[in-house]
Amino acid sequence: MSTNVKDYLLELCCSYTIISVLGSVVNIIFGGQTNNINVLLMFCFCAIIVFVLSLHKLFDAVSPLVMMIVQYLLAWGACALVVYILSVLVEPVTPRAWFEFWRSFTIPYIIGAGYYYYRVFADAKKQNDLIAELRQKENDDTQG
Amino acid sequence: MKLNLYETKNDMNEHVDVYYNNMRPVIRQLIDTVNSERPSLSGRPADEDLDDGDEVILDPRNIYYLDHVERKLFAYTKDGVYRVMNTLATCEEMLWNYGFVRVSKSNLVNIYKIVQLKPDLNMKVYASFDNGERICINRSYKKSFNDYLQKMRGMM
Repeated sequence: MSTNVKDYLLELCCSYTIISVLGSVVNIIFGGQTNNINVLLMFCFCAIIVFVLSLHKLFDAVSPLVMMIVQYLLAWGACALVVYILSVLVEPVTPRAWFEFWRSFTIPYIIGAGYYYYRVFADAKKQNDLIAELRQKENDDTQG
Repeated sequence: MKLNLYETKNDMNEHVDVYYNNMRPVIRQLIDTVNSERPSLSGRPADEDLDDGDEVILDPRNIYYLDHVERKLFAYTKDGVYRVMNTLATCEEMLWNYGFVRVSKSNLVNIYKIVQLKPDLNMKVYASFDNGERICINRSYKKSFNDYLQKMRGMM
């Protein structure tokens, strides 16, 4: 099995575990219920989103912002297609459910993107400090 | 120029003798290289008008970054741009101990020449040099760049 597939499966397992545990905690606290279709749908969404996010290496030539927007649209489009197929095959999806689907997809994505944005600036600051320290030491060595 | 190398195992005082008939720039550059104990890269001016056919020895301390464009390698210094005949991978290996780190498929930067790392609003991170130029640090090389800085700090 190639490294990419192994990495993908590992990330999928971790993501699904975290999301299903969080979902169970939320259900216990707020008294919600789930069913078999929901569990399968959750796994399907995880598989799609992890796959789309794992394509980040294909976007090396573009900026991270463009990459995030394209990945968001791809992942949301693929998940929406699954929901649409389910609405045709199992049970029609109401407009309110579409809105809930969009909201529950977008909010975590924006939080994740915001964290990534913060990390880019925080890492740059740390690296700037390191470079300044290295330059100072280099100057001391040259002059000393 | 003829080069003679002598191995003298009992003599701990290593030295270099240079015989010259006039103090040309190339001899001065040779002396600088020996004194500074740094690897030397040689290159010819990229601008054909300035290229008189002689190779110039480049001190790595004066190089801002190396850029690989259309199978040619260029070294950017304060004085100008030079075409270097080595490959980028060779330079990366040769200059590892001298502050040079890979930041993209085609760029090797001298960290001692970086004035600031600055992320743009689109989250691309650029290394700015004191000559006003800037080079993008590719996302794929971000981790190795950070590891390199940490290693260099550990070695100092």
